[in-house]
Amino acid sequence: MNGQSAALALTAHLALLSSISFGGIPSVLPDIRNFVVTANGWVTDQEFANYFAIVQAIPGPNMILMMSFIGLKVWGLPGAAASALATFGPPCMMYFAAFRLWDRFREARWQRIARRGLAPVTIGLVVAGGVVMARTADTDWALLAVTIAAAAVFLATRINPLWTLAAGAALGALGVL
Amino acid sequence: MQVPATRPEAQPVSLAALFVAFLKVSLCGFGGGLVWARRTVVDRERWLDDEEFADTLSLCQFLPGPNIIGIAVCVGARLRGAAGAIAAAAGFILIPGAIGFGLGALFLQHAYLPILQGVLGGVSAAAAGLLIATGLRLLLPHRTRPAALLCAALAFAGMTLVKLPLLVVLLGVLPISFAAAAIEGARA
Repeated sequence: MNGQSAALALTAHLALLSSISFGGIPSVLPDIRNFVVTANGWVTDQEFANYFAIVQAIPGPNMILMMSFIGLKVWGLPGAAASALATFGPPCMMYFAAFRLWDRFREARWQRIARRGLAPVTIGLVVAGGVVMARTADTDWALLAVTIAAAAVFLATRINPLWTLAAGAALGALGVL
Repeated sequence: MQVPATRPEAQPVSLAALFVAFLKVSLCGFGGGLVWARRTVVDRERWLDDEEFADTLSLCQFLPGPNIIGIAVCVGARLRGAAGAIAAAAGFILIPGAIGFGLGALFLQHAYLPILQGVLGGVSAAAAGLLIATGLRLLLPHRTRPAALLCAALAFAGMTLVKLPLLVVLLGVLPISFAAAAIEGARA
């Protein structure tokens, strides 16, 4: 597949996945990884992990950025722009339409049922996304320990996650990992 | 008690104010974007009160996509309709996206350097842990609902152990989850 048709396939796939990414883009990361690394070989496992790490260290819309880096690899700047648009475009339209509906049926019982039914599935998918990333990132025991420690610190304290990420970066820079 | 402080209806919020507010939320929000969104919308600008904000958040949580952008769209739509939604979402995405893209591309050019590989490896491992922990924390309010825990576990196992496509997992688990929620609702 050449760059342009690959970019088209990538854009279409991202638009589909962003439309079903309940719980946020991280919930579809496993599927995206399958598509771009395993099925099509557009980016390597290492690159995918690099993109994920880099966008964690940058403020702003990080999952949109991650998708635009994949697009950049596949078809340069136009690919990056198309991937970004596919990632936030469909959800934005849905948010707007849903807000209108939500406003109209504010008191309805189905709202509560839908919320309670979707939440657990959403949560299971978010955790799965984290585990898939950990599988890629944790190539040895020291890195696995960092993942576990980061999760534990986040759950047990109110420390800004930025410090946790900085600690991971510092350990990596010192060559401990 | 505090006087309920909502926006004076006579003065519509300007589109520029929406753009700038969500631009700031985006630039500040390393990982904890939600914290900044609430702080800006509720505490600083007083566009919504806490209850309205929570309401907006749950709407966004049960829709697909990046939830914080959903908050921008909904707050913008509430204050200024479609134009407001576009202004808020654009504020969140455009400038921070361009800055992040430039920074990231620069990083990627030097990604082969051993020290940068070390840094990225460490950040990546920590970020995966944060993501897992975020999911676990979201699960806390549901810990007394066995059906919810089961559905969360099913969705998790479907993705990581059986490695099913997302659509299959959603179509398989959502009906069970909705049915359980409806039964719980009928009992309550």
